[in-house]
Amino acid sequence: MALQITNISKTYPNGVQALRNVNLTIPNGMYGLLGPNGAGKSTLMRILATLQEPDNGQAQLTDVPYTTTGVIDVIGAKDEVRKTLGYLPQEFGVYPKAKAEDLLEHFAVLKGYDDRKSRKEVVEALLRKTNLWDVRKQKLGGYSGGMRQRFGIAVALLGDPKLLIVDEPTAGLDPAERVRFLNLLSELGENSVVILSTHIVEDVSELCTNMAIIDRGEILLETQPERAIKELQGKTWRQTIDKTALAEIEKDHTVISTKLFAGKTVVHVYSNTAPREGFESVEPDLEDVYFCAMAGHIGNRKPAAA
Amino acid sequence: MKSWEIFRFEFKYQAGRWITWLLFIAFAVISIMMTRDGMLSEALHDEFLLTSPFSIAKTTVVGCMFWLLVSAVVAGDAGARDVATGMHPLVYTAAISKAQYLGGRFLAAVAINTLMMLIVQLGIVIGIYAPGVDAELIGPFRISGYLTSFVYISLPNIIFSTAIQFLIATRSGRPMAGYLGSLILFFMAYVVGIFLMLNGHKDLTRYLDPVGLHFILSDLSYQWTTIEKSTRLITLEGIVLTNRLIWMGIGLAALTITYTTFQFAHRTSSTWWWKRKRQQSPTPSIVGVTSAPPVVVPGVYRSFTFGTQTRQTFFIGWTSFKKLAFSWGGGFMLILLPLLTIPVVADQMMSDSIRLVPTTVHALQELTGPIASEFSRWIIIPLLIIFFAGELIWRERDARLGEMTDVMPVADWVPFLGKFLGIVFLLLAFTIMQMLASMTAQTILGYHNYEIGLYLKVLFGLQLTEYILFAVIPFIVHVIVDQKYIGHLASIMAFVVIALSSMFGIEHNLLVYTASPAWSYTEMRGFGATLGPWIWFKLYWVGWGLLLVVVTRIMWVRGKENKFRDRVKLATLRLTPATLSVGSLGMAAIIVFGGFVFLNTNILNEYRTKADSDELSADYERLYSQYKSNPQPRVVAAELNIELYPEQRAIDVEGTYSLENNTGRTIQSIHVATVPGIEIGEMTLSGRWALTLNDNELGHRIYVLEPPMSAGSSAILKFTAHLEPKGFRADGTNTSITANSTFLNLSSILPAIGYQSSRELSSPAERRKHGLAPKPLIPSLYEPQLASDRPSGVLLKATIGTSEDQIAVMPGVARHEWTKNGRRYFFYFTDAPIGDEWTFASAKYDIYKAEWKNPDSSDQVVDIRIYHHPSHDTQLDRMTRSIRASLDYYTKNYGPYPFSHLTVVERPGNGTGLHADMSLVTFTEGVAHWTINKPGTLDLAYAVMTHEIGHQWNAPSARIEGAPVMSESVAWYYGMQAVEASQGRAELLRLLKFMHEPYPFAPIRRGEPLLRGLDPYLSYRRGPFALYILSEYAGDEKINGALRRVLAHHRKPDAPLATTLDMYRELKKSVPDSLHYLLHDLFEVNTFWQLNADRVTGKQTPMGEWEVTLEISARKVVADSAGVETEIPMDEYVPIGVFGPDKSEFELSDEMYLQLHRIRTGKQTITITVPREPNLAGIDPYHMLDVYVNDDDNNIEVVKKDKKP
Repeated sequence: MALQITNISKTYPNGVQALRNVNLTIPNGMYGLLGPNGAGKSTLMRILATLQEPDNGQAQLTDVPYTTTGVIDVIGAKDEVRKTLGYLPQEFGVYPKAKAEDLLEHFAVLKGYDDRKSRKEVVEALLRKTNLWDVRKQKLGGYSGGMRQRFGIAVALLGDPKLLIVDEPTAGLDPAERVRFLNLLSELGENSVVILSTHIVEDVSELCTNMAIIDRGEILLETQPERAIKELQGKTWRQTIDKTALAEIEKDHTVISTKLFAGKTVVHVYSNTAPREGFESVEPDLEDVYFCAMAGHIGNRKPAAA
Repeated sequence: MKSWEIFRFEFKYQAGRWITWLLFIAFAVISIMMTRDGMLSEALHDEFLLTSPFSIAKTTVVGCMFWLLVSAVVAGDAGARDVATGMHPLVYTAAISKAQYLGGRFLAAVAINTLMMLIVQLGIVIGIYAPGVDAELIGPFRISGYLTSFVYISLPNIIFSTAIQFLIATRSGRPMAGYLGSLILFFMAYVVGIFLMLNGHKDLTRYLDPVGLHFILSDLSYQWTTIEKSTRLITLEGIVLTNRLIWMGIGLAALTITYTTFQFAHRTSSTWWWKRKRQQSPTPSIVGVTSAPPVVVPGVYRSFTFGTQTRQTFFIGWTSFKKLAFSWGGGFMLILLPLLTIPVVADQMMSDSIRLVPTTVHALQELTGPIASEFSRWIIIPLLIIFFAGELIWRERDARLGEMTDVMPVADWVPFLGKFLGIVFLLLAFTIMQMLASMTAQTILGYHNYEIGLYLKVLFGLQLTEYILFAVIPFIVHVIVDQKYIGHLASIMAFVVIALSSMFGIEHNLLVYTASPAWSYTEMRGFGATLGPWIWFKLYWVGWGLLLVVVTRIMWVRGKENKFRDRVKLATLRLTPATLSVGSLGMAAIIVFGGFVFLNTNILNEYRTKADSDELSADYERLYSQYKSNPQPRVVAAELNIELYPEQRAIDVEGTYSLENNTGRTIQSIHVATVPGIEIGEMTLSGRWALTLNDNELGHRIYVLEPPMSAGSSAILKFTAHLEPKGFRADGTNTSITANSTFLNLSSILPAIGYQSSRELSSPAERRKHGLAPKPLIPSLYEPQLASDRPSGVLLKATIGTSEDQIAVMPGVARHEWTKNGRRYFFYFTDAPIGDEWTFASAKYDIYKAEWKNPDSSDQVVDIRIYHHPSHDTQLDRMTRSIRASLDYYTKNYGPYPFSHLTVVERPGNGTGLHADMSLVTFTEGVAHWTINKPGTLDLAYAVMTHEIGHQWNAPSARIEGAPVMSESVAWYYGMQAVEASQGRAELLRLLKFMHEPYPFAPIRRGEPLLRGLDPYLSYRRGPFALYILSEYAGDEKINGALRRVLAHHRKPDAPLATTLDMYRELKKSVPDSLHYLLHDLFEVNTFWQLNADRVTGKQTPMGEWEVTLEISARKVVADSAGVETEIPMDEYVPIGVFGPDKSEFELSDEMYLQLHRIRTGKQTITITVPREPNLAGIDPYHMLDVYVNDDDNNIEVVKKDKKP
């Protein structure tokens, strides 16, 4: 099974072009969509989740089991997609006075679990899976952010979705909750398409086998984390400097990123050859890939004329 | 400074919103329309100035009501927007105080609302001065009129209403909750107010009225004279002041509660303490990747069939219902309203303060009302439907669960129909509760024949249908508008347009959503033919409902694409075959049922708007009033052959009129007025004649006679008339002929002789509009009366055929009865002339027969027959006793009864009315349900019957000013005498007490004197009181003698018709000169006595007697017709009474002393000695002079005792 996205564009009435000609092939398994705030991630997620219409372009689920043609048109056949869709929006609320169990069951009914007994079983399994079983009788208004997020994924997981879309799920979670949440995602089978949109590089590096980097509505790079890191090997260099020396270095080198570490500035630069004195070779990581792609050193974006 | 910034920001924010501007526009429009349409027509009718403070105040009050309904969003948003949007943590942590924050927000809301009400005032100005208003109605511009309305009415209303809305919004954190505050206030003003009002707690109503509805709309319109209405300013005093203070106090309390309970704190969902023990979120102890075996989610089969979708719909319906039912609003609707229904039903089972048997028919009248006619008591239900529908439609999106819900694999129609079903369930639950409440009220009153079938039919079949049809409106409005507040506003506007459609000039029921002709139900008639048209119209509206449902379904908002253009595009994609077929079904229903209705209302029957009928009346007057003074013969005898076909609701009449020329002049042509809509077959005259004009539309024919009819000669007019309804009309169907019962006045279908002035337009406004010369509502008292103007009376003979199971009734002696061809025939004839109103009735009557023998030596026997519905038999005995007692007293004191029969007929209708024609009295079904709930209470049926029988001794009187005094006042005086003579003084005093109650005829302190009296209060109350007090002062025989002489003189066929002046002359002759001042005060001017017992003390004398000292103050004023009061010095005899402690019958039953004392204006002391210990003492204890019982009830005081000798 795979999700094929072709030439999707979307411009908002206020003139903001959220997506330009997006083409992606998303295979089974976890797929990371990485990009800064405002890159168009959520728009793409909502289009795939049947909530928005693209101006043009196509999206198709292919090789879908239990269907006659094996193909579902995500844009056109909304009702079909919804039957196999799980969606966790970036922002959502709950009925503060409802109990987790009741609300989840409410959604289970909407998801088509017609039989009361088996519906209860599914609800119980999901509550256990998301570790909410003990608090199932509590009002959702009293839930913490992490619990609420877990409740959201429980709703998304109802109906064993073949297409699961999770939009920035880890934003705002504490490290422990984040790990717990990623744990949950990692358990999802290899036989469904899971798209995780995030601006946190670690989310992708920890979970995803495939990924894309998106910025200002454009796909900058479509790759696999491991491969991308490998391709960058030998091209990243590091130096710890004083902040005042940064301007000097930027003049002569292609800076990927600068970071503060214990009050000093750590600067990463991109270079095919070893740069001048003071730089040491550094093992690249996904963050370097991300910044390189954003800066246009690799991928589809032309580097800004220096 | 900070609060100024908070105020400034809030004001700017709200002023910059769409909804605010929409509201501004709405207020301007409503206010202009009210001024132009509502007030203008009233001003024209009442002839007061459109620029008057009264007119401005009235529009202001209506503006306030409307403001209350639609503007809660302003205060709601100011109070709860921060919480609703999640901004509150930023705001709450700013360095501001509670007072600054709440004060700034509240004042900003008040400011916006003030602007809205200023726009109402502006709208009034535009309404008055924009072109098109009759210049006569515009007086000088006085800013004070606008200012007083604004400052005394609008401003306090705004302040306390905003405070209440603000309180509810800040407490709940939901802007829409402000509406709930509005609904409660509205409920107070409209529902509770009217309820209290009807139960006689008039003052309480005025104090509790939050808007001014009652003290402006009811009190002033009623009490102020035309001149006052044109000029007088509203002042802040008395009840108005108290009311404003009470409500400002409530507003202040709301603000205080807001301030003290508000906290700059994180809002947690409140939990009850016993639930707090619940554990907090259990956090797994291990942080990091866990290797616990994954929980397997069972792969359960899911289904997406139609069956599943239906179950999902019901599931959503049920959860929506639960959500609403357990909300505050739901509790209000399902618990509080039905609880209120119990006393409403129980108390409404009083008709004129006399108890009614609480039959289901009477109870149901209190529970029903159509949506599409002017606001009924249950106006709160559509408003709640609007509120609840909005809450349901926006539920997911308000909780930010919209995206998650929208991606669920459910069909688009499932959430919509589910929510609609939720409203339906709620209405169903409400209806069940209403039924239970009503049955509870019946049980409390000791009535157990619940007639569940009728409840189910009326409440669930008829009333619920109205509500459910209406519930479609907020759904489609919200879905089209897709903005919560604007959706609410638009839904309420839609409701206002539906409810007040006629004000907007839309009359035809096919054009007003949910409108239909009204149904009616009585025990005699059943639904009659009223149900058919109702059903056809409703089926037509169900068609529209389906169409609206389809539009709602395809426009249902799902996903984030909410540009209208995209949604329309999406909507076309949603037109699935199933949706299309539902739409086509709706279309088909509209076409088929609408077509059928249209066929009935506009093709089979002619459709006429009010303007059309006015135009016809105007045409009639323009064309034929020239013949008004042509001499015409009189009908002196009529012979009718009537065939009634109840099942077909048809009637055939073959009539022969004997005409006589007693004008003393030669008659060239006879003018016959036919009734438009009645088919006239043949119409021929005896002798030679030519029909020179035959206008069927307006109903006028001219027969030119050859040779002319000489004075004193006679002629015969023969005709046939046929009436058969063709389907139904736009306003329903004529209920006078139905399968179960027929009741009509034959003059409404039979031809009459001469030009009919009664068909002319009467309202000055309408006459002006059609360019007709102004005409007084009724001719002046001083118009000379000629003997030749009086009608001669008709001898009537009638043969009536009806269906075999019915009995037909007409005035006259019931001579024969026979059956022929499966039909039953009756023959009636009158043995003395009767008037020109011929009552005709036919139903499955039972006849109660009795006789009255004249106690004098004349051997006169009168055959009494009461035709009644078989189950309505509780009043028969008392009615008969009353009739006999009346005949006894009246024949002895006023003159002979000219007929050998007296017929009493029950007619269908739930009211409690009685009506007297010559030799015939009718009563509506409600009278049969009058009951005496405990001994010692007034027997109203008995008393009213003496009054109706009294009408038989009314002198034939002229239709000029004072006419109702000549008939109603005199008949009531007769009745009071008959009651006293037959039932004793105690019963008379009970009757007097009843008559002093402000219902059904509230006292009016203005207008014409009794001699020219027209209104019901003067004719039914002041008139009888005046005659009665005269009889108390001068003795019964003096007054009876005067009335007897009036009757004897004017009964003569050659005498002119009697007027109040004739009666006044005879009274003046009868009473001694010393009472002429009283006669003058009572009849010639409008006099008000104010007689108070300020302090009453009693002291026992050594002899054991009691010396009672009354400190009394007295004054009297005369009010002219404009309401200006002048004090008149008083020096006259007034009754002083002392009463003992025995209250076995009623408060004043132990009368120890009652004598006339000379009383002067001002304070004075009177000392009386009575043999026993006194309890009460006072001046004019029975309110004969000082008739205002409610306003100033200190005529009598408890005696303060000083026991020491």
